[in-house]
Amino acid sequence: MAFSPENPLSVEPEIETSHVDEFVEQLRCVTDSLPSRINIDAQSVEQGLAKLVLTLIEFIRRLLEKQAVRRMEGGDLSPEQIEELGLALMGLEAKLQELKSQFGLTDEDLNLDLGPIGRLI
Amino acid sequence: MSDFDQILVGEEWESSELSLLETLDHVLNRGLVIAGEITIAVANIDLIFIGLNVMVSSVETAQEVLRKRELQ
Amino acid sequence: MKLYAYCLTQGLDALDHSPPGISDAKVSLLKHEELGVLVSGLEIDAVPVTPEHALTHAAVVRSVLDRTTPLPFRFGTVVGEQQLKNYLTARKAALQTQLKHVHGCVEMNVKIIQQVQNDEAAPRPEDRPQGPGTAFLAEKRREIIGDERKADQAAELSTLVHEAVDGLIKDEQVTLRPSERLVFAAAHLVERSTVQAYREKVSEAVKRRPELHFLVSGPWPPYSFANIELEFLTQFGVT
Repeated sequence: MAFSPENPLSVEPEIETSHVDEFVEQLRCVTDSLPSRINIDAQSVEQGLAKLVLTLIEFIRRLLEKQAVRRMEGGDLSPEQIEELGLALMGLEAKLQELKSQFGLTDEDLNLDLGPIGRLI
Repeated sequence: MSDFDQILVGEEWESSELSLLETLDHVLNRGLVIAGEITIAVANIDLIFIGLNVMVSSVETAQEVLRKRELQ
Repeated sequence: MKLYAYCLTQGLDALDHSPPGISDAKVSLLKHEELGVLVSGLEIDAVPVTPEHALTHAAVVRSVLDRTTPLPFRFGTVVGEQQLKNYLTARKAALQTQLKHVHGCVEMNVKIIQQVQNDEAAPRPEDRPQGPGTAFLAEKRREIIGDERKADQAAELSTLVHEAVDGLIKDEQVTLRPSERLVFAAAHLVERSTVQAYREKVSEAVKRRPELHFLVSGPWPPYSFANIELEFLTQFGVT
């Protein structure tokens, strides 16, 4: 660990791969999705809040879908109940799409990157 | 020595787009943050950013108060 | 006049030499209570994200790696001198702990790209007519099963890499993205003398999985192990 001539540390960086082009393509996506400069005007604050709220709702909506599927597989729902549940969730999905377009947000906008936990959706 | 087909080092490292992208990934997404931008990157909300600046200013004010007290 | 901060150091007495800083400014060592920060003067308030500036930042941080292990600042850290000193005083304990954690180490990265998953099975022929709601849930079920399979595969990759480098790393940061091609990215904190052994172990794992595309990069200064903000978050009740 000591930084002595007997323990020379090579700090010259290297990249090893057999797929340069693929990684260039994938890493470009990472840099493209960087947050832009923070704007303190009213409209961006509002859109920022909308994004946060819609992301949370979207997250819950997906949890509801998962839970509904689990219940369906569990076998304790009648065919009529399954149909009603499915229709209600369809409506929810459609409503959320509507809200997203009202605020000019795409699916990608709502996909928060939580670092080690991965993406929200 | 390496099992990889391509090794970028030295001049090749300096001139390649891949190493630039890797460098950007490191310096833009990681590292010490003083003013709370990492929080912004997740939620894109100004409120938390401002909050952290207030925290730093409070330290400054506390030190000023102590200094004034010493001078008296 | 503002300061552009590159990295935090401890135990560095002086800066004999350094590559030029942002906009060709001279880089100097600002000392404050046993800590030091590499800084350069800046006329403007913010530094635009350009490849040139990013590379300058990286080069300055890397330049001290032969003498010490720094905690890099994020790109674009522009502060007033007093603000910087306040930060150092306020966060001194946490910063020293982190410096101790990374001392003598470098960061290595492993990334894996998987092939596009096209496991969307053809819709199963249903023996009785389904209402739209039921069909909706049936489709969701298929998606969820597919997602779970992808998550399992991603977790398996994580285990593969972890088992390969276990014992050689001091810390790790793993990001899994099961639905994407760049499915796995790990940052490993490795002692300098162990880097060669680390490379060999990763190479072995690469050989075992020819259908996966690997990238290994490093050594880097410990960018992924620099931040102490989690401590701040827990202190202020945010989990």
